[in-house]
Amino acid sequence: MIEAILSSYGFGALIASFAIGAVGALALRKSDTAANVWSNAFAVLGSAWGIVYALLAVTAVSAPEYIVDASAAFPLLSVSFHIDKLSAFFIFVISLIAFLCSIYGMGYVRHFYKKYNIGSLGFFYNFFIAGMLLVVSASNALVFLIAWEIMSVASYFLVVYERNDHRNVRAGFLYFVMTHIGTAFILLAFLVMYKFTGSFQFAAIAHNIASIPPFAASVVFVLALAGFGTKAGIIPLHIWLPDAHPAAPSHVSALMSGVMIKTGIYMMIKIFLDVFTDIPLWWGLTVLVLGAVSSLLGVLYALTEHDLKRLLAYHSIENIGIILLGVGSAMVFSSSGMLPLAALGIVAALFHTLNHATFKSLLFLSAGAVVSATHTRNIEEYGGLIKRMPQTAFFFLIGSMAISALPPFNGFFSEWLTFQALFGGILALPSAASWIFVLAVGALALTGGLALACFVKAVGAVFLARPRSEEARHAKESSFSMRTGMAFLALLALVFGVFSGSVSLTIGRVARDIGKFGAAELPFAVSPLEQISVQNGFASASAPAIAMMFIVAACIAALGLRAAYRKQKVVIGETWDCGTPPTSRAEITATAFSRSIIMIFKGILKPTKQTGIEYRDATARYFPKARTITLGISDIYRAYLYEPLQVALTKFSERVKTIQSGNINAYVLYIFVALLVLLVYVIL
Amino acid sequence: MEHLFVQLLIVIMFLAAVFLHVVKKNSTAAVLYCAQSAAMATILLAASIEADSRPLLFVALATFAVKTLIAPLFFAHLIKRHQLKFSASTYLSVPLTLIAVAALTALTRSHIFAPLVALGNGREGMLSLALAMMLISLFLIVNRKGAISQMIGILSLENSIVAFAVFAGLEQAPGLQMGIMFDILVWVVVATVFTSMMYKQFGSLDVTAMQRLKE
Repeated sequence: MIEAILSSYGFGALIASFAIGAVGALALRKSDTAANVWSNAFAVLGSAWGIVYALLAVTAVSAPEYIVDASAAFPLLSVSFHIDKLSAFFIFVISLIAFLCSIYGMGYVRHFYKKYNIGSLGFFYNFFIAGMLLVVSASNALVFLIAWEIMSVASYFLVVYERNDHRNVRAGFLYFVMTHIGTAFILLAFLVMYKFTGSFQFAAIAHNIASIPPFAASVVFVLALAGFGTKAGIIPLHIWLPDAHPAAPSHVSALMSGVMIKTGIYMMIKIFLDVFTDIPLWWGLTVLVLGAVSSLLGVLYALTEHDLKRLLAYHSIENIGIILLGVGSAMVFSSSGMLPLAALGIVAALFHTLNHATFKSLLFLSAGAVVSATHTRNIEEYGGLIKRMPQTAFFFLIGSMAISALPPFNGFFSEWLTFQALFGGILALPSAASWIFVLAVGALALTGGLALACFVKAVGAVFLARPRSEEARHAKESSFSMRTGMAFLALLALVFGVFSGSVSLTIGRVARDIGKFGAAELPFAVSPLEQISVQNGFASASAPAIAMMFIVAACIAALGLRAAYRKQKVVIGETWDCGTPPTSRAEITATAFSRSIIMIFKGILKPTKQTGIEYRDATARYFPKARTITLGISDIYRAYLYEPLQVALTKFSERVKTIQSGNINAYVLYIFVALLVLLVYVIL
Repeated sequence: MEHLFVQLLIVIMFLAAVFLHVVKKNSTAAVLYCAQSAAMATILLAASIEADSRPLLFVALATFAVKTLIAPLFFAHLIKRHQLKFSASTYLSVPLTLIAVAALTALTRSHIFAPLVALGNGREGMLSLALAMMLISLFLIVNRKGAISQMIGILSLENSIVAFAVFAGLEQAPGLQMGIMFDILVWVVVATVFTSMMYKQFGSLDVTAMQRLKE
């Protein structure tokens, strides 16, 4: 049975489910309901199959490998897939999130009926998932690039799906441009590797990796980091992410933010730790610094946001930064020969990958439910939704606690493991490198605190107090299928937290399948009561113990309060309001909440403030009618990086344009001269 | 004797390419191309007899039909329809053009092209002429402003490439050659239609008139 599932037929069935879902949705496009049910049903089916397949592949003794021989038609293109434990882990993450997003999607997509084509949504949605699965399964660089393009193009069409909003079309264009700039870098990295190893097969490249000179290897590192970093959304290559993720339908946003950007992380681990095995120290330190910067700046930008989905998108940048802290520390330890610590770094990174996929999808799905109920993404127009959407509010709260790394939810344990990997670096590395680890620890701690502040703002402004708009006042709870998808994700956030020890051990098996980590002993142990003990007792954490502690503390507090107020009568009276009735205008807004923190970091965030006054009499200008204050932050990446780059590129293009004379004879002359030069060059 | 006959044919082809630079009338250019193509078809016919190959014979006949009959017919129709008696002007004067043609021919005889010419294996002279024809045909496209001359230049370039392949022993499978022939036929039809449209739009077949299309 297991052999049958892991056979090429099993893998083919996995991809075929999504292909059938895609084509069927397009065929049924005339009926919105049929297209929706068909596409999401096959996505659910395929994802469920993917979960089973991945779990079996993670535990399999030998990795499944499938090769379709197409060398007769395309000599360099070997259509081959290799499912090692790392691939299987990512197939599991993709399938798990796709499974729950598709259940959610069945209900969510209904609000697009009669507005947009549901068939095309189902078509691109299924191809998007299939593309991601193929990306993490490909064992040949050319097949990988084809899968990468399927994923990128399908996700582009999903970003511009709500095309009547011009902001979405613009976000899609930026995403399309950035993703293809990233692809260009990736292609160059593969070509450099091909030049020295003579193969596009990852296994063959890894086997002949010694033939790549150190300088060329470093060029590959920089190109791959830029290419995959663009997809992952590391700062400063992130500019597409806060625009594109919110633009897509929410269940797609959940997949993009929770899973798609992780394909960049997958390839970084694959190239930097699996294909290359002996890497220089500075590679790891670079990734570590980028991770620290991305995590800190990501959360700071999230704090400034008052668009709910953009806020979540910025948190994706933050969490990619945290994952990179794990990957970077693993690279540093690997180049220093400290394989057990390197394995710890990878376990932390992969565990956070799984956790972030879980809670970020949950948050995006909850945000989607709120947005579809209120028809706005502006946090300032929400308020009081806990009374109208109590279950959605509960799920959002769980997601917020998980992303804020509050125990016993999963986010806490993966960040805790990341801390342990960084502490290991401080203890074990020479002073210069260890100082970078010290700064990374500081950045991670600060990130955790700021993330908590950001979600206090988000939960408070969205769900608490009184409604601040008519839409919020009349919002209704989301549909059953939407709540089912969110409920399972919330449950998973708790389960992955409580059983973090077992999950860490399973991920440890994945880590030991990467590169030279097979020889490494995992530097942590897990007791039967799920207590994780790192580096022979340097630190330990037990999720069940923490959960129990919370339950006991809550019981004691409840009992104490009851005992203290048992004899006291509850008197309900009117609040003293100084003569002004307490309306929603008296509430603290999300902008006001975060303003004080923004001002602390004004050197980085460059906040802006514009004031305007409208007078009753514009000529006399004595009596103001209205005052407006517009608060914002400067986009320093556009101002100092992308715009100068664009200006330089435009100037260069203007110069190059002079060769475009419009004269056919001139064009043929170029060909003629090029041909002659080439002939002479080849012959000489 | 047979060798001499083939030499004569390649010389005819070469001379046709050179005279294409000199002639002013479009109809004369079409006739020269017709002569060049007939020589090419005869070379292929000789090769088919030498190899006793029936598929190659079909290729030779197809070459004759497409390049010697159909393509010139299209040109004749185009010239008659739009009253395009004379070709448009050139960038270089006739003496300068001939000097450039001589220089290109000399280049193919130089040591730079020696490794390529060595592929001829006893037919180095003919290979050298085929190479010279290629460069001269390309130069015709660069130097002439008339669309018909440029079309003939492209077809002459194609003839020279086939000649080069034959003398270098790089003959392709007959099926492939038939495919190429079909390709040329389609190209001639499309190019003729395109040229007609261009004439309607710009009132001239001078390609410099199309500069207006530039942004």
